[in-house]
Amino acid sequence: MDWQLVLAILPQVVIDGLVLGFMYALIALGYTMVYGVLELINFAHSEIFMVGGFVGVEILLSLQSHGWLGRINPFVALILIVLAGMVVAGLLAVAVERIAYRPLRSAPRLIPLISAIGVSFFLQDAVRLTESLWRNAFYLTYPSFAVLNRRIELGQSIDFSVKSIVVIAASLAMLVALQFLVKRTRLGRAIRAVAEDQPTASLMGVNVNRIIALTFLIGGAMGGAAGVLFGVQYNTINPFTGFIPGIKAFTAAVLGGIGNIPGAMVGGLVLGLLEAFAASYLSLFTGGAFGAEYKDIFAFSILILILIFRPRGLLGEVVRERA
Amino acid sequence: MSEILLEARGVTKRFGGLVALNDVNFTLESGSIASIIGPNGAGKTTLFNVFTGFYAPESGEVLVGGRSIVGLTPDRITALGVCRTFQNIRLFKNMTVLENVLVGAHTRVALRFWDVVARTPAFAREEGAALDRIGRLLDLVGLRGKENDLARNLPYGDQRRLEIARALGSDPRVLLLDEPTAGMTQGESRALMDFLRRLIRDLGLTILLIEHNMRVVMEVSDRVTVLDYGEKIAEGRAAEVQRNARVIEAYLGRGRAAGGAVTP
Amino acid sequence: MSGREPVTGRAAITHAAVLVLIAASATLVYALPRSILAFMSFQASLVVVYYARLPARAKLGYGALILGLVMPFLGSHNAYYMEVAIQVGIFVALALGLNIVVGLAGLLDLGYVAFYAVGAYTWAVFGSPQALKLFPTATGLFPLDGWWFFPFLALGLAVAAAAGVLLGLPVLRLRGDYLAIVTLGFGEVIRVLANNLDKPWNVTNGPKGITPIQRPPLFFEPALRVLGFEVSPFALYPLYFYFLVLAVVAVVIVANRRLERSHIGRAWEAIREDELAAQAMGVPLVRMKLLAFATGASFAGIMGVIFSAKQLFINPESFTFLESIGVLAMVILGGMGSIPGAIIGASVVTILNLQVLKGLSLWLNELRNAGITILGYNLANLPSQFEPAKYERMVFGIILILMMIYRPAGIIPARRRRIETAAPPEGAAR
Repeated sequence: MDWQLVLAILPQVVIDGLVLGFMYALIALGYTMVYGVLELINFAHSEIFMVGGFVGVEILLSLQSHGWLGRINPFVALILIVLAGMVVAGLLAVAVERIAYRPLRSAPRLIPLISAIGVSFFLQDAVRLTESLWRNAFYLTYPSFAVLNRRIELGQSIDFSVKSIVVIAASLAMLVALQFLVKRTRLGRAIRAVAEDQPTASLMGVNVNRIIALTFLIGGAMGGAAGVLFGVQYNTINPFTGFIPGIKAFTAAVLGGIGNIPGAMVGGLVLGLLEAFAASYLSLFTGGAFGAEYKDIFAFSILILILIFRPRGLLGEVVRERA
Repeated sequence: MSEILLEARGVTKRFGGLVALNDVNFTLESGSIASIIGPNGAGKTTLFNVFTGFYAPESGEVLVGGRSIVGLTPDRITALGVCRTFQNIRLFKNMTVLENVLVGAHTRVALRFWDVVARTPAFAREEGAALDRIGRLLDLVGLRGKENDLARNLPYGDQRRLEIARALGSDPRVLLLDEPTAGMTQGESRALMDFLRRLIRDLGLTILLIEHNMRVVMEVSDRVTVLDYGEKIAEGRAAEVQRNARVIEAYLGRGRAAGGAVTP
Repeated sequence: MSGREPVTGRAAITHAAVLVLIAASATLVYALPRSILAFMSFQASLVVVYYARLPARAKLGYGALILGLVMPFLGSHNAYYMEVAIQVGIFVALALGLNIVVGLAGLLDLGYVAFYAVGAYTWAVFGSPQALKLFPTATGLFPLDGWWFFPFLALGLAVAAAAGVLLGLPVLRLRGDYLAIVTLGFGEVIRVLANNLDKPWNVTNGPKGITPIQRPPLFFEPALRVLGFEVSPFALYPLYFYFLVLAVVAVVIVANRRLERSHIGRAWEAIREDELAAQAMGVPLVRMKLLAFATGASFAGIMGVIFSAKQLFINPESFTFLESIGVLAMVILGGMGSIPGAIIGASVVTILNLQVLKGLSLWLNELRNAGITILGYNLANLPSQFEPAKYERMVFGIILILMMIYRPAGIIPARRRRIETAAPPEGAAR
């Protein structure tokens, strides 16, 4: 084994892992918040994320076609598309809740889950249909900004792009803002009350329907932001982009203890780092027999193992357990 | 002499910091009706759950016919001849009356996968025997003629009786009934008690009741056990227990706070 | 039971109407080989038979007539219809298998197609030169002779059932929604393995897939020749696979019905209704759930073997999450726990995908090429990426959402059967 090589690429691996991890954390919030209030795996959340990515690319492409893209500050453009992605994705999530989940709120658990799978598939093809008619293409590429692609070199073998830093910083800012919202505001208290005990919260004068809609709005907005950042980081996006990151973000939510907001953040980071390590080192450690293509299996195995051996997740103690 | 069918030896069960059962000893003799009473939260249903394998006790032993059942799954315990009903009715609502009782008979159908798929002679024999037996059971509980009704469409009293019939489907030696008269009128309760006595006579059954209706308890029970805060505070014949000072205190002390729901 | 039909004339009219319908729709299909509507009217005649007020024996007879005689006849004139019929048959078996797991036992399995893949790869690897890449020295043995296809039907069934047990053992204690996600993960794991197990050992040949896969021998060909039929293997194989699939579907339906009407089926339904109460009544949860998983998986396994032989070529693309959801949509559409529901659901969804969406695509293409203008929009400008045939996901999605909201019991809800106890009460007529 070439330990020198292992060490040399380590910082690079950590940065990749952090980028991935923060992305998962942002998406995982949507799963965990909805699960907290409804005990529903919002299967369509991965498509909310994907729609966010499409909003970003559409705005950039139309700016580009008008020739304005080069004239605005890339960071302003970035903030603009993140905000737009958040708004559209958040509203879409609210609409999905209203149409496909609310009528099923008293049905057996698996019924809304099946409906959610339906929404997920519907949205994939709805975006594909729209883009096919609109652009005659549904694999879209983010216009690139030279500033964001610039690489910062630290030493001879470590370098990372500006956009990695931007993605990490933006994610961190949003996670902090969300934590503040949930812990320190009246709205956050209401959300936690509904998650804890819906009938009681309703008796205490909390408008449960409104709080559930707001939960979808916030979770959806976080997912939308993640979608835009995903596009900025990895450049291409298509209607089926959401599936794999969605499953992994759900894994992150379970890893951190589903229903638990800080847990989702921790779970996302842990999973992102593990995956980056697996992608870079699996082939190195198995002498090339198993390579990066197994990183998805790696994530699924973590999900299965966690669910079997510690279904409450890493930070699961925080969540109440009631039979 | 009658044999001891069900026994708890020093059973302790905790939920976090709460001691639901504390060193409880209990024996149930064959051919009798025994009752467990006690204020809400005394640990009665917890004891049932320990008897039927839904909870594993932290310490102590539970014996069925002299054999320890700690660690067995509930279905194995049912196969050994201990079957129960639930306080809040838990029928298979979208299945028919007959199917409900047939599920109860699951452990008494000795068929393999192959028998079912190939419809071997054994299948006809076993299925026929089960249907015969269940037909008689339905006569006994008075649900004859409603075999093909959905459980969820039955009136409340019939649902209670169906729960009992379903448990009887497993051909138990010991029947555990968790508040069978809950929600019944005095007349219905009385009819149910007559029915229980008939079961003991006709099927040679042994019955353990959790009951809040004191009139029922005093009238029907051979033996009464009183639990309070997870501890056994009294045991004996109905009349003795009724005069026991600790029992009166446990009931009146909290009975008043709870609105005097229980009047021994 | 209620004696003869009081008016025999009405029965005769029904019989006549059914026969006329079958004959008329078959003639239409024969005369208009390109008309989707004609073929659908023929398919509908089966549904009419199912709902007609006829004794069970007569329905069975008409069903056998349609499926055993008229369909193969039409199919040998139009290979495309044969293909559709085979596909429908395969999906009927898959839907019936998943129906046991989801519909009866109430366990949401989102990776069901993995078992289909297991069956398919079992035969594909050993029934093709692929096995030589695994065992380079066994040159005389592989690819296995076509006769091995038949033992491999049983082997595919067994391997898939074993995979079901293997997956089930650790995960069946999980709560319903977690179980769903874990089965999804399992399905993906199987697909990723199929995609990547071309190294370090070349088991699946990766994304390139495996070909050519052996087909079962045409052992009856000499007999046909004696009878004076000269049919090329090219024309014979679709018929052969059609009857093979038909036979397996028949077996699957019978097994399904027998299981449903037994203590096993009742235990599954009891688990679906109330797991805890079922266990209290003596139903061994883990064992019965494993049985449901294994039974459902075995149907998929045997169809996988047939699929790989029919296709001659398989690769991981046939076993995606999309396929799993497609089969789920069939079960949901037809009605969870309902055998006729699963059959209808599988037929409708398959025909929708294979015929309606494709037909729409072709039609749009024609309009596009003709450059027809509708409401001032020239269809020649219709983007080339817009192809209705590719919108399976939307179909599945809409089915799942609408059914859950408006009709969760499906088109043909599971009916409770009347069972008579041995000693009927006196005075209870009927």
